[in-house]
Amino acid sequence: MPALELDGLTKTFNETRAADGVSLSVPRGSMLGLVGPNGAGKTTSLSMTVGLLRPDSGTARVLGVDVWSDPVAAKRLLGVLPDGLSLPERLTGGELLTYWGGLRGLGRDLVRERARELLRVLELDEADDKGVLVAEYSTGMRKKIGLATALLHAPRVLVLDEPYEAVDPVSARVLTAILRRFTDGGGTVIISSHVMALVEQLADRVAIIARGRVLADGSLEEVRGSDVTLEDTFVRLVGAREVGEGELAWLSS
Amino acid sequence: MAVVLIRLKFALMRHSFTGMRVLGLALILLGTGLTWYFAVSAANDEVRSELLCLAFAVWAASWALGPTIANGTGVLRSQYFSLLPLDRRRVGALLLATMFVDIGPALTLVAAAALVWHGAAFSVAAALVAVPAVLALWISVIALSRLVFRALGAAMLSRLGVEIASVQWGLIMALLFFGWMAVQPALAATLALRANGLGEGTTGAVLAALPTSWPVHAVTATAAGAWGPALGWLAASILLASVLVVVTSALLAPRVTARGMRRRRRPLGARPLSRPARSLLPDTPLGAVIGKELRQWWRDPWRGLEVRASLWAGLFIGLLTWSSDLYSSFAPFAGVTCAFMMALSTANMYGHDGTALWLTVVGQRPDTARADVRGRQIAILALGVPGALALSALFVGLTGAHWAWPYVLTGLFAVFGAGAGLSLLLSVVALSPGVDPRSRVDANDSGDNQVQVWLSLAALPLLCVPTVLAAVFLGMAGTPWAALPVGVANGLLVALWLGWIAQRRLAGRLPETFTRIRYGKEIALQAVPERGSLLDRLERTAITGNGETRPTGS
Ligand SMILES: Nc1ncnc2c1ncn2[C@@H]1O[C@H](COP(=O)(O)OP(=O)(O)O)[C@@H](O)[C@H]1O
Ligand SMILES: [Mg+2]
Repeated sequence: MPALELDGLTKTFNETRAADGVSLSVPRGSMLGLVGPNGAGKTTSLSMTVGLLRPDSGTARVLGVDVWSDPVAAKRLLGVLPDGLSLPERLTGGELLTYWGGLRGLGRDLVRERARELLRVLELDEADDKGVLVAEYSTGMRKKIGLATALLHAPRVLVLDEPYEAVDPVSARVLTAILRRFTDGGGTVIISSHVMALVEQLADRVAIIARGRVLADGSLEEVRGSDVTLEDTFVRLVGAREVGEGELAWLSS
Repeated sequence: MAVVLIRLKFALMRHSFTGMRVLGLALILLGTGLTWYFAVSAANDEVRSELLCLAFAVWAASWALGPTIANGTGVLRSQYFSLLPLDRRRVGALLLATMFVDIGPALTLVAAAALVWHGAAFSVAAALVAVPAVLALWISVIALSRLVFRALGAAMLSRLGVEIASVQWGLIMALLFFGWMAVQPALAATLALRANGLGEGTTGAVLAALPTSWPVHAVTATAAGAWGPALGWLAASILLASVLVVVTSALLAPRVTARGMRRRRRPLGARPLSRPARSLLPDTPLGAVIGKELRQWWRDPWRGLEVRASLWAGLFIGLLTWSSDLYSSFAPFAGVTCAFMMALSTANMYGHDGTALWLTVVGQRPDTARADVRGRQIAILALGVPGALALSALFVGLTGAHWAWPYVLTGLFAVFGAGAGLSLLLSVVALSPGVDPRSRVDANDSGDNQVQVWLSLAALPLLCVPTVLAAVFLGMAGTPWAALPVGVANGLLVALWLGWIAQRRLAGRLPETFTRIRYGKEIALQAVPERGSLLDRLERTAITGNGETRPTGS
């Protein structure tokens, strides 16, 4: 049984097919990188996977539990980092984690212990000591506190939308180390990104999505085939607009 | 560049043509008509000059407060341009320039032109002087409008600023509710004005000194042949317009500093995790929600504005009623009025939270919706009750009307209870997201809630009918204290009942509620059945009736 299964997820916004029968399956203990250009439907697909956006058709299963027919059980297994959403902006990082742990019914002492460790590892503890509110966090810090909320209840499957965006290189290494530890311990991860090199270096499985459709899906080697880099595969599948000889000539004045 | 911005503005406006805008235009049209009516029908030159001073002062006041009341976000927001490689001040000036290109300002110019008519009544020279005077007046008024609106936005960055904005809002609310006490005498006076002018009095003197009257003085002085004073008044008007334009362009320039309140200390109630825990709240989801809500109400300027404005409105209403002969027996009920205002201003809580609702959706457990709804009810009561009690004690004490205590307490129980039920139900069903919390700047960014306000105005008194009846009849029977249990029961039952409906609705539609915030009107409408239950129809009304103050990017 795959740890995470996206099964024909489809969503139409007005006229645009944001996701068109997106099906993926991620085996336990692996990390899948979902890559695609801006507007490909990554956020839409992941939102339907975690129960934030009801699909027009299709569903998702976490360790066999259907997200849309048994949301409570599925959401207990899921850790989620959405992209570009607000948080309770006037809480400090520590307060946010305390609230979140309480809402999930984790028990205060356990929450404190884990929250303190997460803040320390993610280097947010200093901000917490100073009483910095989430509203005052930088984009990278927001990603990090978001990741802490995703990890707090020790989920089995992580769904992370653009986790590396705006994160500084040092924090990115920490993030990578956390994700490696998570998969080594039998956890499963799906991350979305539009940076091919990152996914190539990080993930053991890749899915390429464009205009709402999955164009390729499998282990990194399978998807790459005879191409040298993932980017080549991506360009071959999605098609890139070549810049012609005479175009943009004014740039080289 | 200005042309591009103006085109962009009209493009954006086409997407947000709401009822409020139509109403605003109707009022401006009416004002233009009245101004010219005054100018044409005034009994003599002196009366006309006084009436024009009055009209121009009202125009300036309306333009200063109108945009705030009309609940509109600035159409062209300066952040849109913060990344353009343009001088920030230039963007500010250009944004100000776009303000003048609209129907409202055009009509205002027509109204101001009544001054030219005034000048023409004397001489050609006076009419000629009136032309630059009218332009200066027009520019001042429109620039002032933007200035006040942006100043209020800038105020959202400091505690004192929020307090000032709250006082302003409280006053507006008090006047909207009890302003009719002043309307009738004012109306009678207006009819007499046409014939007599303002007469000798302080009002006339104050009015004459207002900067909006300077252009009128310039024309009057020209007519009298006093060229020195005439040029002086004209120069002063032009100087004022220039200063307002400079200051406003500076304020409209995109901000590049960090967001959030300027603050040196740790926020109240924030203990770092590195120190031992200390909490009075239960270790349950309910306790977690209460703790979060109390902090958010206390620290978020947009939420703070709502609660504080209600408190100030209660205070002003108390003072207004106390100082009038006819209505002074209402003064002890200032606290009850404040409770009423709180119910109105807490009726869009999920709109306030914006996309932060994802936490509740993703963390969903069997009792999450219940904890969220009940926790919010408890938090608004914990915040609202002390203030309303203090106001009640203040005004009962001031008026010495101790007979009112049983009625006041009964009323407080009923209104707070019914309000806590109704505001949660409306928060869920009539949710209206504003600009997402991450990118809020202006005082109105937290979402248009006119549907909630109108519904509450009608529903809240209805929900308190049992208490009102009990208070009236038991009061007549000479046992007013006997109404207290009725008030308590009334409040408690409505809070539990409507809260229960709210929690069931939220639990059943968590993803739909989130979609409503995240994906905008059109997509939200797809998730609400067209011929559904009463709640479905209420939701459709709210989605279509409230103005959309987006955007949030994808
Ligand atoms: N609120 C919305 N209304 C209409 N269309 C939307 C909305 N949000 C996203 N879309 C559309 O859905 C498609 C997929 O978007 P998204 O899933 O955010 O892409 P990605 O995350 O891959 O960049 C895009 O074409 C986008 O225009
Ligand atoms: Mg995305």
